[in-house]
Amino acid sequence: MRIQDLSSFNAVKEAGLAKLLPYKPRIGVGMGTCGTGNGAEGVYHAFVEEIDRRGLDVQVARVGCFGYCAQEPLVNVWLPGRPLVILRRVQPDNVPPILDDLYLGRIPAELALCKIEDWDHLTGQVKYGSGFPEIPSWREVPFFRGQKKIVLRNCGLISADDIEEYIAVGGYQALYKVLIDGTPELAIEQIKASKLRGRGGAGYPTGLKWEMLRKAKGDKKYIICNADEGDPGAYMNRNEIESDPHALLEGMIIGGFLMGAQNGIIYVRAEYPLAVHRLARAVEQAKEYGLLGENILGRGFNFEIQIVEGAGAFVCGEETALISSLEGRAGRPRPRPPFPAQKGLYGCPTNINNVETWYNIAPIVAKGPAWFSETGSTKSAGTKVFSLVGKVKNTGLVEMPLGTPLKTFVYDVGEGAFNGKQVKAVQTGGPSGGCIPQEMFDTPVDYETLAKLGSIMGSGGMVVMDEDNCMVDVARYFIEFTHSESCGKCVPCRVGLDKGLRILKNFTNGKGVEEDLEALDELGRMIRDMSLCGLGQTAPNPVLTTMRHFRHEFEDHIRAKRCRAGVCENLALSPCENSCPLHMNIPRFLELYKEGNIEEAFESVIMDNPLAASTGRVCQHPCDDRCRRMNIDESVNIRDVHRFIADTIYDSDKYPALMDRICARKQTATGKTVAVVGAGPTGLTSAFYLALLGHNVTVYESNPAAGGMLRYALPEYRLPKNVLDKELELIERVGVKFIFNTAVGFDVSLNDLDSNYDAVFLAIGTWKEAWVYMPGTELKGVMPALLFLEAVSKGEEVHLGKKVVVIGGGNAAIDSARTALRMGSEVTVVYRRERKDMPAIVEETEAAEAEGANFVFLAAPHRVVGFHGVVKAIEVVKTKLGEFDASGRRKPVPTDEIQVLKCDTVILAVGEKVDMDFAKASGLILKEVGTVEVDRFSLETSRTKFYAGGDVISGASNVSNAMGYGKKAARNIDERLLGYKRTGVLSKKYEYDQTPPTQPSEVGRQVPGHLPARQRAASFEEVSVGLTACEALEEANRCLRCDIRTTER
Amino acid sequence: MKTTLAQSPQTVEDQDFVDRVVAENSGRPGALLTILERVQDRNPSKYLPAQVLEYVAAKTDIPLAQIQSVVTFYALFNLEPQGSNTVCVCRGTACHTRGSRGLLERLKLEMGVSNHGEDGEAEKLSITTPDGEYTIRTVACFGQCALAPVVEINHEIYGHMNERALRNELDALEKERR
Repeated sequence: MRIQDLSSFNAVKEAGLAKLLPYKPRIGVGMGTCGTGNGAEGVYHAFVEEIDRRGLDVQVARVGCFGYCAQEPLVNVWLPGRPLVILRRVQPDNVPPILDDLYLGRIPAELALCKIEDWDHLTGQVKYGSGFPEIPSWREVPFFRGQKKIVLRNCGLISADDIEEYIAVGGYQALYKVLIDGTPELAIEQIKASKLRGRGGAGYPTGLKWEMLRKAKGDKKYIICNADEGDPGAYMNRNEIESDPHALLEGMIIGGFLMGAQNGIIYVRAEYPLAVHRLARAVEQAKEYGLLGENILGRGFNFEIQIVEGAGAFVCGEETALISSLEGRAGRPRPRPPFPAQKGLYGCPTNINNVETWYNIAPIVAKGPAWFSETGSTKSAGTKVFSLVGKVKNTGLVEMPLGTPLKTFVYDVGEGAFNGKQVKAVQTGGPSGGCIPQEMFDTPVDYETLAKLGSIMGSGGMVVMDEDNCMVDVARYFIEFTHSESCGKCVPCRVGLDKGLRILKNFTNGKGVEEDLEALDELGRMIRDMSLCGLGQTAPNPVLTTMRHFRHEFEDHIRAKRCRAGVCENLALSPCENSCPLHMNIPRFLELYKEGNIEEAFESVIMDNPLAASTGRVCQHPCDDRCRRMNIDESVNIRDVHRFIADTIYDSDKYPALMDRICARKQTATGKTVAVVGAGPTGLTSAFYLALLGHNVTVYESNPAAGGMLRYALPEYRLPKNVLDKELELIERVGVKFIFNTAVGFDVSLNDLDSNYDAVFLAIGTWKEAWVYMPGTELKGVMPALLFLEAVSKGEEVHLGKKVVVIGGGNAAIDSARTALRMGSEVTVVYRRERKDMPAIVEETEAAEAEGANFVFLAAPHRVVGFHGVVKAIEVVKTKLGEFDASGRRKPVPTDEIQVLKCDTVILAVGEKVDMDFAKASGLILKEVGTVEVDRFSLETSRTKFYAGGDVISGASNVSNAMGYGKKAARNIDERLLGYKRTGVLSKKYEYDQTPPTQPSEVGRQVPGHLPARQRAASFEEVSVGLTACEALEEANRCLRCDIRTTER
Repeated sequence: MKTTLAQSPQTVEDQDFVDRVVAENSGRPGALLTILERVQDRNPSKYLPAQVLEYVAAKTDIPLAQIQSVVTFYALFNLEPQGSNTVCVCRGTACHTRGSRGLLERLKLEMGVSNHGEDGEAEKLSITTPDGEYTIRTVACFGQCALAPVVEINHEIYGHMNERALRNELDALEKERR
C-alpha cells in the first residue's frame, strides 16, 4: 500500500505496532548471520513446529541481532503487559520447556539474560510492560552497561524484514519531516551543527561534505553507501544492515533530497549474502510503500537505490577505488583532488558515506543536533559501534559514546581476558590501525586520541590480544594482508610492502638481524609518507606501533631467537620446550624413557636441568599450560616424569657411573676463574655449567649448606633434603668448590672478588620479607614467613602458637600454612584478593585445604591486637575488587567492614625483596624496586665483569626461572672469558625414534600418588610419592612429539 | 594446480542468458561486476571460461583487456573450474588470533595440496584438488568475528572450528559423496 499522506502513514504505523505488540505472546529469534552460525535457524524452526504442534496462538518473528554475540542464539520473549525478556544460548531442545513456562506466565530463569521495560527508538518509543523483578534490566548486564544505542536503536528488537515494524517505531518519519519542511539548506546546517563525523574511519565532518555536494553543479548526482566493510575483525555494518536495513535506506533518501541527487547506490561486499538479501527485500518493500521510486510520499521527489555487490577486493573500501569498481574497472585509487563531490562516478558529483554515518541521520533529524552533540567528546559527537572480539570474555558489538576509555571496553564490557590469561594489547582500526599496549588502556577512544598513539579508530574493530599472541607475528600478519590486497599501482605500496613482509618473515623464522629493525622502521615511514591512497598510507601502522610499544618482543626474536608467546614455531623445538625457562628438550627424554633407555634419558634430563628431582617436585610447570595434548584430553605430566627418571637413577647403583659419564664431558681447563655468590638454584645451575665448560668455579654461600630456598624455605614434605643432597653430589663431582658460612659484602668484599676472579656472578636471591606496615607488628608472635621457614628447616626452636594466621597468597604463605599445620596449630590464611588470583601453585593451595587450613578471601590486614605485649588477635578489613590495575587484575579496595580473627601467631608472607643493605653496598646500579639492573641479554651489571641473575634481578619468582637465569649467565660468562661464543660443546647426539605416534595414546593423564590428608598433617613426610614406573611409561607414551617437523607421505 | 576437466562449449542457452543479463544491466553503475557475478554463478563449475569472457566483451562493447583486468583483480572471479565442494578458511584478525593459520595448514595437509612458491602465504589462496572434488580457499574476513575461527563449507558458515570439528565436517561430506 502506497503511503501518500499522514493518515496512510499512521495506518501503516498502527499495523506495525499490532505486530510488534500483539495481543498474544511474541517470540523473536535473533537471526543475523552470527545467530544463524550458532544454530538460530534450528531454534526458529523448533519454535514454529512446536507451536504448530501444540496449537498455540503465539507469534514468531525473525529479528536481528541485539549485539551480545558471545551469548547467541538470543531469543526475545514477550508476554503482553510484561517486559521484553531476552533469553541467551537458546538451543532447539530448550524450546518445549520455554513454551511450557510461557504458558504459565513465567520466564525460564537460567536462560534469562535481561529484560527491557520500555525502549527509546529515538524516532519513537515503545512500552513493553513491567514485572519480573528477579531478572536484571539490560543496563545492569556488564556487557551493556554504559552503552547508548543510537545506531543500533532498532537492531534485535524489530523484525529484520518488515517495513511495517520499522514504521511502527517511528521509521521514515524523519524523511517525511524533511520532505514536508522542504528546506534542504537549513537541514544541512542541522547536520553540520550536530558535529557528526564520517564513521568510515577518516572522520570528515559529514555536514560539510553534504554541503559540498549540494553546491556542486551537475545534472546528475550520485549518493553512495560504502558497505564494503573489509576490515578483518569489524562486522558492525553487516549487523546493522541485516538487522535494520530500512534505517540505511531512510538515511540515504534523506541525503538524496538534501543534496539534490536522485540516484543512490549501495556497494555491499559479496561476503555478506544475507545483508544483500535483506537490503534487496527492504528496497522492494520501500518501493511498494511509496518510500522509494517516483513521487516519494507524494512530495514530488524521485529517488532510486541500486544494490551492487563487490567482488572481494579490500581496497574497494577506499572511495576512489570504489568508484572505479562501479565504472567497470579494476579497483585502483586515483589521486585527490578532484574529490568525488566535484568529479566522482562517471565524472558526476558524488557523495560517499559509510553505512554507520547514514544510520545517524534519522535520529539527528528527529531529535535535533543539540541532542546529538550532548553525547560523545568535544571534537566528536555521538556514539560509535565497536566490534569487541579476540581473546576477551564477552565478544560482540558495543555502541559507546566517543571518548570512552579503552579499558572500559576490555574490562567492564568485555569482562577481561578469556581463560584467565593476561590481556596484552588491543588492536584497533583493522589493518590501518595499530596495537595499543595494556599500560595505555586509559586512552579515550576517539579519532584524534588513537592517532596520537600511532593507531586509528577506523571502522571500530577492537581485537583483544593476550600473552599467547606474538606481536611480531601480528605485525607480519597485517603486512601479509595489506600486501595481498594492494592494488599494485604505486611503487611504495606494491614494492615496499613486499620488502617489509620479507623482513618480518625473517624475524619469525629466526633469520632476523639487528640492522633489519632500522630498515623496517625506515621502510615503514617511507611507505606511509609516499603511497597514493589510504591503504598504503596506513599499512605500516601495525608494524610501526608494534615496534614502538613491543620492541622487546622484536629484540627477543632477533637477538635471542626466542618467541615467548610460543607462536613462531621455527624459533622453538616444541611448545613445552619453549615455555620451560631451562628449555629442556622434553620430547627427547620422554622418547628415550619410552624406549626403555633410562640411562640416556637421565643424561638428557640432567644435562638440561641439574636439579631435575627437586624441580620435579616443586616447579610451577609452565609446560602444563602449553602442552598440545590438552586439546585431546589433558597435558602430559612432564614434571613428574623427569622427577621419576632422576629419582630412579639416584636410588640405583647406576648413579656413580652416570656421574662419571657426565664429568667426562668436561671441556679442557681454560685457566679462568669465576666466583658465584649464592648457592641457591641460580648459583648452582650457573656453577654446574661453568665447571663443565672448563672454568674454575668457587661458590660463596652465607649459610652452612647449599640449596638456598630449596633447603631453607621449601618445607621437607615438599622437597626432602636428602633428594637435594643427591643432586649436589653431581655438582660437586664436576668440580665446583664451595665456601660456606661466608657472606659476600661482609666476610668478603666485592672488590676482593674483583681482584681474585676473572668474572663474578651475583645470585643472592630475595631473602628479605616485605613488611606490612600496620599497628601491632612489634608484638611477640608476629614473624616473617622466610625467617619462620628457615628456622624450621634448620631444626631451630620456633615459638609457634596454637592459632596461626598467615597473611598472603603466594607459595611462601602456603608453605608456612602447611608447616604450621604439621606443627599442630590451627591455621587460617588471609588473602586480599580472590582465590583465582592467588600466585601460589594451585595443587599446593588445594593440598593446604585438604590438610585443614581455613581460607579468608578479600580481606587485608588492618592491625594486630595484643595483650601484655603478646599477640591476641588480628583485625582484617574486608576488601572489594575495584578497577583493573597495571597487572591486569582488579585492585582490592578496603571497605568499612572489619573482621576479628583470634590468634596467637601472625605470619607475614606478602612478598620477598632483595636485601637492600647488600645491594646498596655493592655500588651496582639498582632499579627502583631494589633489584639489580642488568643488560637484558647479557646479564651484565653496571660494573664490568659482574653479572647477576635470578630473583636478585627479577624480583621474587620461582625455581625454574631462577635456574633459567643461571644457565643463561653461564653461557654469557663463558663467551666473555674466551672472547668468542661456543655453542653445543656440551651437547651430544642421542639415538631415538623420529616418528610421531600415528594414533595418540588413549590413556589419560597420570597423577602421582599422595599420602592421605590425615596422615600428612601429622608429619613432615613427603606428600607426593611420585609416579610408578608403569605410570611414567604411560605418561611418556602420551607425548605427541610436537618436535618432529616434516614427515614424508 | 590445473585440472583436466574439459571446458564445455557455450550453448545457445548460455548465450541467451548472457544477452539477457547484459541487457538488464546496460548503462548501470557496477554493470560489469554484476554481469560477471551472475554469469559465473550460473556456471556449474563456478568459473568464467575464456570464451565466455570474449562473448561478454563483444556484447558489452568493453575491451577484452579491461575485462581481463577486472577478472584478475577481484578475488571473487575464478578463471579455473572450481571443485564440487568449497572449503573456505577465514584469515581475518579475530580468526587469526584464535588459530586459523594452523587450521589452514592442517586442511592443506589433509587434502594433499600445497601452494609452492616462497610468497605462497601472502597470496589469496585458491587451490583445487586434482580429482576436482574440493577447492580450498581463504577469505580475508567473513565478518563473523565472534564465532572465530570460522570455516565456510559449501556456503555454510561453521564457527568455533578446531582441527577435530573440521575433520568431522569433512568426513560427513565424504560420506554424503559416496
